[in-house]
Amino acid sequence: MNTRDQILTAIRAARERRTPVEHPGRFGGWRPVEPPPPLEGFEAMFTQAGGEVVHVSGTVERDDWLRTFLAEFQHLSMGAGVPPGIADLGPTRINPGDEHAADVGVSMARGAIAETGSLMMDARDGRRAQLLPPVLVVLVDRSTVHATVADAFESARGDLSAAIGLHSGPSKSADIGQVMVKGVHGPGRVIAVLA
Amino acid sequence: MRVALFVTCLGDQFFAEACADAVRLLRHVGAEVSFPTDQTCCGQPAFNSGHRREALRMMRHTTQVFADAEYVVLPSGSCAGMVRSMYSGLSDTDEARAAAEDLAARTYELSEFLVSVADCEELGDGLTGHRVAYHHGCHALRELGVSDQPVTLLRSCGAEVIEWSADRECCGFGGTFSAKLPEVSAAMADHKLDTLPDVDVVTSADGGCLLQLSGRAGRRELPVPFRHLASLLWQGVAGAEAPRGSA
Amino acid sequence: MTGSSPEYRPGAYREAAAHSLRETPMVRDSVGSATRTFDSLRAHAYADVESDRWRDWARDVKGHALTHLDQYLEQAERSLVRNGVHVHWAATAEDVHRVIAKVVETHGVRTVVKSKSMLSEELDVNAHLESLGVRPVETDLGEYIIQLLDEPPSHIVGPAIHRSLDDCRVLFHERLGTPLDSEPDELAAAARAALREDFLSADLGISGGNFLAADTGTVALIENEGNIRLTTSVPRVHVALVGIEKVVPRFEDLAGLLQLTARAATGQPIGLFVSLIQGPRTGDEVDGPEEVHVVLVDNGRTTLFEDDVAWEALRCVRCGACLNICPVYRQTGGHAYGWTYSGPIGAIISPGLLGLDRALPLPHASSLCGACTDVCPVRIPIPELLIHWRERTVDEGRNSTAERLGMKAYAGLAERPGAFSAAASALRWTPWRAAGRALPVLSGWVQERDAPSPSPRSFRDLWREGIE
Ligand code: SF4
Repeated sequence: MNTRDQILTAIRAARERRTPVEHPGRFGGWRPVEPPPPLEGFEAMFTQAGGEVVHVSGTVERDDWLRTFLAEFQHLSMGAGVPPGIADLGPTRINPGDEHAADVGVSMARGAIAETGSLMMDARDGRRAQLLPPVLVVLVDRSTVHATVADAFESARGDLSAAIGLHSGPSKSADIGQVMVKGVHGPGRVIAVLA
Repeated sequence: MRVALFVTCLGDQFFAEACADAVRLLRHVGAEVSFPTDQTCCGQPAFNSGHRREALRMMRHTTQVFADAEYVVLPSGSCAGMVRSMYSGLSDTDEARAAAEDLAARTYELSEFLVSVADCEELGDGLTGHRVAYHHGCHALRELGVSDQPVTLLRSCGAEVIEWSADRECCGFGGTFSAKLPEVSAAMADHKLDTLPDVDVVTSADGGCLLQLSGRAGRRELPVPFRHLASLLWQGVAGAEAPRGSA
Repeated sequence: MTGSSPEYRPGAYREAAAHSLRETPMVRDSVGSATRTFDSLRAHAYADVESDRWRDWARDVKGHALTHLDQYLEQAERSLVRNGVHVHWAATAEDVHRVIAKVVETHGVRTVVKSKSMLSEELDVNAHLESLGVRPVETDLGEYIIQLLDEPPSHIVGPAIHRSLDDCRVLFHERLGTPLDSEPDELAAAARAALREDFLSADLGISGGNFLAADTGTVALIENEGNIRLTTSVPRVHVALVGIEKVVPRFEDLAGLLQLTARAATGQPIGLFVSLIQGPRTGDEVDGPEEVHVVLVDNGRTTLFEDDVAWEALRCVRCGACLNICPVYRQTGGHAYGWTYSGPIGAIISPGLLGLDRALPLPHASSLCGACTDVCPVRIPIPELLIHWRERTVDEGRNSTAERLGMKAYAGLAERPGAFSAAASALRWTPWRAAGRALPVLSGWVQERDAPSPSPRSFRDLWREGIE
C-alpha cells in the first residue's frame, strides 16, 4: 500500500467509531449589536487597524488626489488592473519584476469587506506590487464592498485566481519585546482610495 | 431542609473548626444538619491522577453514604465539583450513572447552598471593616459556576472584598500536581501572593487552595492570614465573639 | 536553550521547569507579561461578538471535517490537482524530507525563505535543509530572532515571547550591527532589510497551512507581517506543509475560522494578511510561483485520531489561547515542555504524536484548573483529555509503583470508614518532612511550602462532642 492509502485506510478504520458531526451551516458572524452599513464599517475597521481611507467622488477627483499624494515619491509600481493613465501622474514607473525598487505602489482591489476591514487583493493584479513597496495605495470600487467575509467568499468562489490576499491594515509585529512596530515585511502604510 | 454535611478529607483533618462553622451557618439558616459518619473521600485525588478504577470505588461508596440525604453540602468547591460534574462520566453502569446523577442534583458547595437554596443574602454584620481577598478555586468557579455567591455573602456581612487581579488564577494546588511538580506549583502560588493587595485576610471556599497558599506564604515568611470561607462567614453572623476557625 | 539547561525533551520537564524558574527568572517575566496581554486582548475580542456561538460553530465545522476526514482529504486532493498543485502524502518526517529534497534537487535551490510553521518545527525541516546544503531563512520576525539564537520557538503564536527587548538589542547588535540602544522599529527595519535580500534571491518558499478548504483546494494562511504572503508569492516554487487535520469542507467555512482564530490568538478581527492560495500562477497573472506543492502530513495524526478520546484534540487551530491563559505555561514558557507544542495543547497532543512514553510527564503538567477549555475556540475539553492520558499512563503501568500501590490502598481505606478516619488522623500528626522519604507526596509538598498545621481535633471528634 502506498502512503496515501495507508493514511486513508487508518482514518477510515477509526472513523467508523466516530459519531458523525453535522456541518453547522453558514457562518453567521453573530454579534450582540447590529453592524454599521458596509462603507462605514469598512472605514472604521480598516482605520482601527492602522490603515487610511480616502473618499473620492470619481476618476477626476481620484486622479487629483493621486497626483498630489504621489508627488513626494520617486518610483511607482503599478498593479496590472490599475487604469494605465495613472502611470502619468507623477513618479517614474518601474518595470514589472522590479517592484522592490519602488517607494510607492498602486494596486487595484477586487473588493473589500466591512466586517474585518479587509481589502481583497487578487493575484491577477500582481502580487509583488501589493507587497514590496513600503507604501501602498489601493483603489477600491465602492460597489465591491461586502458586508461580511462570508458574503465576500460566497461571491468570490466562482472566480478564484491563484492567490487572493486579504489585507486589513499595514504590516505589523510585536515580536521584538512585545512592542508593536509597523512595516515589517509588507507595506507599513496602506491607503484605501474608495471611488 | 435536611442537610447532610460532607466535610471531605482535608476538612476533617485540617479545617475541622471551619467545618464546625459550616454546621453553625447551616443551622443558622434553618437547616437540620446531619453528619453521615461513614463518609470518606469523594475520590478526586484518584480520578485526577488517572486511577479511574479506584475513583470509581470511592464514588460508589460516596453515593451509598449519601443516598438518602435531601441535600448534600460540602465546604469545598473542588470536592463538590467532583461529585456534581465528574461522577456521572465516571460511572461504569447505567445504575451507577443514575445514582451519580441523582446525587449530583442534590449536591452543593456551602456558599452556593446558602444563597441558591436557603435564599440567604444577609448573614450579619460581623465582618464590618474587614478587608478581604477572595480566591476563586478553579473547580468552584468552572465546574460549579460559583463566583458571585461567596462574594455576595462576604459583602453582606460588611466585609470589603478587595479587587485582586489574580483572584481567578489557579493557586497551583491541583492535588497531586502540587507534589509531583512542586517547583511550578510554588511559582503559581507566588504569582498569587505577589499580586495580593493589602488585606486583613485571604479566604476561599476551598481548603486545598488555602493550604497551598498559606504553606507557600509560610515558607516565604509572608505575614498573610488565611481563613476558610465558612469560618469567616460564621464570624460575619456571630461577630468577633464567634468561635475562631483553625485556619 | 542556553548551554547549561537540562535536555530539550518532554521527559526532562520537571528539571527544565525548575531550572528555568531558578536560573532565568526574566523568562517568567517576559512570558507572564506577553501571555497576560494576549489573553486580555482575546477576552475583549470575544466579548465584542457572540463568541459562544462562534465557538460552537467552529467546534462543529472541525468536528464535521474530522468525522468525514477521509472524504474531505480525497476531495481536497482532487481540487488541488485540478488547480495544478502537486500533492504529496507524508506519513513521517522522513517522507516530508524526501519531498523537499526532490524539489531542492530539481530546482537547484540554494536559499529557502520560510514562514512560521509549527509543523515545520515538528518535522525538523531546517536541519534537513541544512543537511542538503541549503540555507533556510526564517522570515517571521519572532522566528528570525530565535533562528539567530539557535533556539526552538517557545510559543505557537509568539515564538520569541520569552525574549525581552534588551535580549533583541544585544542579538541584533551582534548579528546585524545595529547600535545597542536601537528602538524596536529600528531593529525591525534592520531585519526587514536583511530579509528582503533573501526574499528576492530565494528559489523556494516553504509555508505551513492554517486551513485547507476541500472544495476549492484553498490553502489559507494567517499572519500580521506580510512575510507569508511574500514567501508564497515571490520565489519560483512554493511548498506548503499541511497537517491532515487542517482540512475543512468549504471555502465559505474559512470566513468564520479565519476570524475566530485571529480573535482567539491575538484579539484581532482577522490577521492583517490572509493568503488564500489555490495553486501556481496562471496565464493571466503577472507573477507568483510557477510551481506549488502541498504536502499532506500525518506524522502521528492518525494515531491521535485512532484514540477514542484524544482525537478531539485534532480540532485545534493552534491559536495559542490555551497557552496564554495557562497558569502553568505562564511560569516557564514553552521550552520546559521539551518539544514543538507546549502548554495545554502540547500536553494533550504530544502523547498521541510522539507516543505516551516519550511525552510523559506532560499530561501531568497541569493543575486541571480548566482555564484553557474556557477560551478554546473549538471547545476542546482539555482537562478531560489530560485525565485521559493520565488514565492511559496508569493502564499501561507507566506510573510509579509507589503511586499505584498508594492509590489502591487509599481506595481500600475509603471503603472502610473506621480505618479511613484512623489513617487520616495518623497523617494529621505525621511530621511531613520526616515522612517524605516514604511518601514522596509529602516531600514534594514540603520542598516548597510549610507543612499545614492540622486541626487540634478532627471534625469527627468535634461532631461527636457536639457543635454549638
Ligand atoms: S487547544 Fe484550543 S486554545 Fe489551545 S491552541 Fe488549540 S485551538 Fe487554541
